[in-house]
Amino acid sequence: MTAVEVLAAAMLVAGGGFYLAGTVGLLRFPDALSRLHALTKADNVGLLLVCAGLGLLSGSLREAALLLLIWLLALLAATVSAHLIARRALADGVEVERRDGGTP
Amino acid sequence: MTSATVWVLAAASIFGVGLYALIVARHLLRQLIAVNVMGSAVFVLLVVAAGPIAGALDGIPLALVLTGIVVAVSATGFALALLVRLAEATGSISLEDDGEPDDR
Amino acid sequence: MSLAVDLSIAAGLVVLAWRSLAGRDLFRGIVMYIVFGLLLAVTWARLGSPDLAMAEAAIGAGVTGALLMVAYWRLKRISPAEPEDRSPRRSRLAATVALLSTGMVAAIGLAAVQAIGPGGIAGRALFEALPATGLGNPITGVLVVFRNLDTVLEVAVLLAAYLAVRAVLGDRGESLAQPPPQEARLVGALVGVVAPLSVLVALYLLRAGSYLPGGAFQAGATLAACGVLLLLTGRLRAAADAGPWVRGALVVGTAVFGLFGVAMLAFGEPLLAIPGTWAVYLIETAMMVSIAVTLMLLFAGAAGLGGGRR
Repeated sequence: MTAVEVLAAAMLVAGGGFYLAGTVGLLRFPDALSRLHALTKADNVGLLLVCAGLGLLSGSLREAALLLLIWLLALLAATVSAHLIARRALADGVEVERRDGGTP
Repeated sequence: MTSATVWVLAAASIFGVGLYALIVARHLLRQLIAVNVMGSAVFVLLVVAAGPIAGALDGIPLALVLTGIVVAVSATGFALALLVRLAEATGSISLEDDGEPDDR
Repeated sequence: MSLAVDLSIAAGLVVLAWRSLAGRDLFRGIVMYIVFGLLLAVTWARLGSPDLAMAEAAIGAGVTGALLMVAYWRLKRISPAEPEDRSPRRSRLAATVALLSTGMVAAIGLAAVQAIGPGGIAGRALFEALPATGLGNPITGVLVVFRNLDTVLEVAVLLAAYLAVRAVLGDRGESLAQPPPQEARLVGALVGVVAPLSVLVALYLLRAGSYLPGGAFQAGATLAACGVLLLLTGRLRAAADAGPWVRGALVVGTAVFGLFGVAMLAFGEPLLAIPGTWAVYLIETAMMVSIAVTLMLLFAGAAGLGGGRR
């Protein structure tokens, strides 16, 4: 395995790890907003790593550029949908706890 | 166990799950989803049975499944219109006859 | 190693199918079905067919999921009580029937998979006849040239579905999906980026479908997804009357394809013979327009489309 392949494999595994972390957050966090926080951050970084790893493996600049475009589009979609879900969750009256126990 | 066997068994299981839900479910929307799931299982079966021809997959079953996907969505759209109309007309979302008076 | 990948995707499919149908919450079931559709798209890619993967992601997961969601909310508004109880008296018989059918399907599938050797005669003939049509994508070849009777009827089925929905729901002027009264700013940005990009991608898929994975169905589904987005955000509204443009768009796919087929009879060719690659492009473009508009109208559950707020 060449150095590029090793690096790409490491990125793919790291991306998978980020996805796992996001899913654990989705399952374990108490309310909608914190779940959203875990999911969007972890999934987008995970996708970036996966796309970067695949781009490295592809060996062609065109494919790497297309993968970057895919990541940007996924980022846009995830951003807007997270925003809309958060707005809806707030409107529904989800409780957000502060560290000192009060509510904002 | 080859990969084709795995897919065939998976398709058969999904078909069975869909059929069970179709018979047992009361809500018409659920029955519609069950029919769609059964259709998808059949599509998987068709594609798995498509043998390789000179390196690529046999094109004819793939075209059949593509046609099937579009026809399935048309039928689903029509079925949903029927569902909405039924709900508006009778107020119930089930075709069950429990022997109870229709008092909604 | 690759068997492990197959096993995990297949297991995921079975679990998702179960989760979308079991359990009390219907909304969760619909969401699981959308995820099932997406994993099915991955399955098509795994089984070696990018065309099917694109079509499944756009139509199977996207449009069907949107249709189910809209219907769910509509039904919820009409009658809030949903009967979700299982009916215990039938479950044993149902389980037996389901198990038997699973066994039957497995037997058929395993037999079909093993019978591949001397089969595939039609596929071989397709492989040999494809270069003569000037197309590089065998699926497009089958759909538009070799077995185009199926495709003509399929576009006609789409039109029939629209007419059937129109007959059932009447001349509704309001879409089944209502945009919210106050829109988040980000949504405007999303629409501004995604809508033109979708049109570009659709046109590319249409053109590239002749020699790469793609084609009229994928292009039409992409446009339909863009249309669903516009309907959901109020850029497009439903209208009670299908104007001439909408009517034309609905019919053009079936009409162009059918006219070609019949016109060739006048030239002494058999029914639905395709004279050249230019005819394939024309027919595919007409089909794309029809598929897109029909799917949008199926989603809206309305008779026609009109302009909305900017």
